[in-house]
Amino acid sequence: MRTSRVAQGLRYVIAIALALFFLLPLYVIVRNAFSTNANITSAKWNWLPDQVNLTNLTSLLANDSIGIGRAMANSAIMAGLQTLGTVVVSLLAGYALARYDNRVSRALLALTIFTLMVPAATTFVPMFIITAQLGWIDTFRGLVIPGMFSAFATYLFRQFFLDFPTELEDASLIDGCNPWTSFWRIVVPNSRGIIAAVGTIILIGSWNAFLWPTLVGRDATRTVQVALSQFMTSQGVRYPELFMGTLVAVLPMLFVFLFLQRYLVQGLTTSGLR
Amino acid sequence: MNISRRSLLLAGGSLAAAATLAACGSNNPLASGTPSEAKPSGATSPNASAPAGGGDVTLQQWYHEYGEAGVKEAVEKYAAAYTAAKVEVKWTPGDYGSILAAQLLTTDVPDVFEVEQGGSLDMIRSGQLADLTDIMAPVKDQFNPAVMKRFTFEDKVHGIPQTIDMQLLYYRPSLLQKAGVEPPKTFADLVKVADAVKSADIGGFFAGNDGGLGVLGTILIWASGNEQLTEDRSAVAFLNDNFYNALTAYRDFYKSAGLLQAASAEWYDGAAFVNGETAMQWGGLWSLPDIQKAWGDDVGVLPFPAIGAGGRPAVPFGAFGACVAAKGKNVDASKEFVKWLWIDQDEDQVDFSNSYGTHIPAKTALVAKADKLAAGPGKDAADFVSNHGFANDIMWSGAMGDAYNAAVSNVIKDGKDPKAEFAAFEATAKTELAKLAG
Amino acid sequence: MSDAAAPAQPPDRRGLWRRIRGTQGRNLWFAAFVAPFFLGLVVFVYVPILWSAVLSFFEARNTVTPTKFVGFGNYAYLLQDRLFLNSLVVFIAFAVFIVPLTYVCSLGLALLLDKITIGRAFFRSVFFIPTAVSYVIAAIIWRFGFFNGARFGLLNSFLRSLGLEQPINWLGGGNNLYWVALVSARLWLQVGFYMILFIAGLNKIPVETYEAAALDGASGWRLLRWITLPQLKATSVAVIMLLLINAFQAFDEFYNMLGSIGQYPPYGRPPLVHLYLIALGGGQQDLGVGGAGTMILTSIIVVFGVAQNWILNRGGKA
Repeated sequence: MRTSRVAQGLRYVIAIALALFFLLPLYVIVRNAFSTNANITSAKWNWLPDQVNLTNLTSLLANDSIGIGRAMANSAIMAGLQTLGTVVVSLLAGYALARYDNRVSRALLALTIFTLMVPAATTFVPMFIITAQLGWIDTFRGLVIPGMFSAFATYLFRQFFLDFPTELEDASLIDGCNPWTSFWRIVVPNSRGIIAAVGTIILIGSWNAFLWPTLVGRDATRTVQVALSQFMTSQGVRYPELFMGTLVAVLPMLFVFLFLQRYLVQGLTTSGLR
Repeated sequence: MNISRRSLLLAGGSLAAAATLAACGSNNPLASGTPSEAKPSGATSPNASAPAGGGDVTLQQWYHEYGEAGVKEAVEKYAAAYTAAKVEVKWTPGDYGSILAAQLLTTDVPDVFEVEQGGSLDMIRSGQLADLTDIMAPVKDQFNPAVMKRFTFEDKVHGIPQTIDMQLLYYRPSLLQKAGVEPPKTFADLVKVADAVKSADIGGFFAGNDGGLGVLGTILIWASGNEQLTEDRSAVAFLNDNFYNALTAYRDFYKSAGLLQAASAEWYDGAAFVNGETAMQWGGLWSLPDIQKAWGDDVGVLPFPAIGAGGRPAVPFGAFGACVAAKGKNVDASKEFVKWLWIDQDEDQVDFSNSYGTHIPAKTALVAKADKLAAGPGKDAADFVSNHGFANDIMWSGAMGDAYNAAVSNVIKDGKDPKAEFAAFEATAKTELAKLAG
Repeated sequence: MSDAAAPAQPPDRRGLWRRIRGTQGRNLWFAAFVAPFFLGLVVFVYVPILWSAVLSFFEARNTVTPTKFVGFGNYAYLLQDRLFLNSLVVFIAFAVFIVPLTYVCSLGLALLLDKITIGRAFFRSVFFIPTAVSYVIAAIIWRFGFFNGARFGLLNSFLRSLGLEQPINWLGGGNNLYWVALVSARLWLQVGFYMILFIAGLNKIPVETYEAAALDGASGWRLLRWITLPQLKATSVAVIMLLLINAFQAFDEFYNMLGSIGQYPPYGRPPLVHLYLIALGGGQQDLGVGGAGTMILTSIIVVFGVAQNWILNRGGKA
């Protein structure tokens, strides 16, 4: 028993050390966001920030070329709509693929798995052109809709519904529901966990998306990731503002994430990828 | 329901037709007075985007993001002063070239936009740019001849030069003096000077966080006494020992301590020089005001020095050209507008070149009116363009540039043999040139 | 539920429509459920792939409605383009580092947390939280905070305190150290997510399996080798598959760590970055070559996916 106690102590030491490493990048954001340019570019590394006030935040908000407030709002709208759309579309399809076993269903399932393998991003060129032909450049439609058809989400839902008992649905059908009403009244309320899990994954992916918003989002719909990326390479980059922008961009997701984490863990644990 | 829809459509259609007619009316110089007579006046319209005499045509004009403060406001002011049409300015931060190119593939194109060097061969060939030869022909001689040469392809012009940008070498005379060295006249001098001035606190020479290869790569062709392509543009023209020796000379420099490998900003930003991170920096003329603000008279400028026996000094220059989308809905109105702004409005052109950062007016006669170019480093820079200015050939395409940079990087960073590397490049160039020749 | 279980059909109104609708309109309901997803998939995935295929046979510079047919010219061009071939090497190198590293680290973290009782939720959150951070933001921290080539980056400051005079230009391409930055950034971002998948897999292993093994005297490494790892096989397969797909899609952190305005260095170019530069991003707009690249990459992935499926199925049967 003595060795196992030593081993256990060692495990905690490792866990704490690793936790510090994992938090270090986040600390660097905070440290730089509340520092002067001189503190950041100082040849001697200072662990502490030297400008703990709102100076950097005000100069960030005043900077038109980054437009952080607008970009945050755009990101929120885009991520919200895309999450909602993807979850609804994939939930319907995943449910049908799990419940209806016919030749078409099997073919569509194969197609879904195939799509999972094709890297979506390799098709960005023609996808951009189609979006452009639809007149969707610099619109939320263009940002949201092309990315709304996730084979990954559909597949996760299908796997979940395979394990989902059919008794409730059968009972509701006998009570006079049709498959549509039965789906919304019985199935969806009982699938909140997996919906939250998949929704969180989609939300994070959408908020963090870069390549597609770079191409499609312009003045009216520039997202925060694109704004930061452009700010980073533009002339006259000021580190304190850049990192303050980074802090502002990362905080909402961290809060959402800490809040939704439980569902995500549960959802992933109880189904889906095995 | 159906019927009312249809009649609504009809009404809409006739309205559109009326609008088109009205637009034609206002485009006619006889109907609305020549556009060039319009005087900018802030009093007529407090709202910049809605000029008082505003035409019925709305033009969209795109700019890339200029780093200098005030340019955005300036171009909005020019646009607002135009009376024959309403001009909406779109300011585009980030990778302007890609965004513009992508947008031009769609059916919803901007009417007027700026393109580096007045348009690439592919843009011209694919019919994206309206032919501006008719408005340029009468005034062609007023523009800088070197720029016009670059802007003309098969006797046609597709862009009006807006202002000339150039790159050059900044140095701090006081630091050189302290180290007991003269400003470098040859590349060999540059290596010695960089080594002499560098210390624990300050770097010798800085040209970007990639060791300068990205920006200096093509300059090595010119500075070693070569041209990019042969006269008939059928082959590359620089694969000789002078060039290979230039590459190996730069490789030695790259490995030496005199070259500052990384700084807090890129070469196109004056910050590294301004912050005192380096004694010499390759940079853009546009950074001159920031640099002079920091170091006052302690600023000198040079062209990239001659490299090797057959070498000569070289500075790259370029100009954004105002172009008109051939697929745009108002091509004629757009042409009127670019003619008004970039050919007729001398004052605006001088303001654009001289008031924000430092640039060289595209029209030769206006250079004298730009006070920043009257003396000191500004004057030197203007002279460099005239005497040592080079620009990428129109057939030096993106694919070729990419292959060239890769070969340069392989030689300098990975120590590969220049001859073998550039044999491979020559093959790529051959395919590409054949493609471009059509 | 199968068709046999459905009540008998009324004998009238037979025919094709009847068959299309299915019993109780089952087929129609099915169609209603899957239509939005598959219509979207067709318009935004399959039509683009087909369009790419068409463009790949044309010279399509700065145009999407090309007229000059070039056969396999674009393919031939790409397959001798050293930068493209190099980008495939870059992908392989990246995958060789990132896939096993993420696999080992995420499994290790899952096993570590499995043994920890106090503060388990806290540690799990800490390891998981980078999942919420974007590649762009990670690139900013890594490029300017840690791996800055100038004198002030955290790593260069640290190395100087150890007595190293000359700062290291991590991302400048004069050495291969930019891989350290690229791999560590991605590792930080994704290891927590895969850790959760492994935790889920661990929770599914029946306790009895361990108890039985413990009775047999197995412990420590032997338990891991003979019980845990085999039981995690399904999770491992899914994790490796996802890791490879994600590695193949690499774009964001490369682009943001190595690129500058309108320029991307010749080194450290994964396939997507190179295709982006050819088709939309660089000084060129070659949609024909871009289309050929799309087709080549898609074929590689499909061949790879089919092969993996085949091997797994065979392994399953054996």
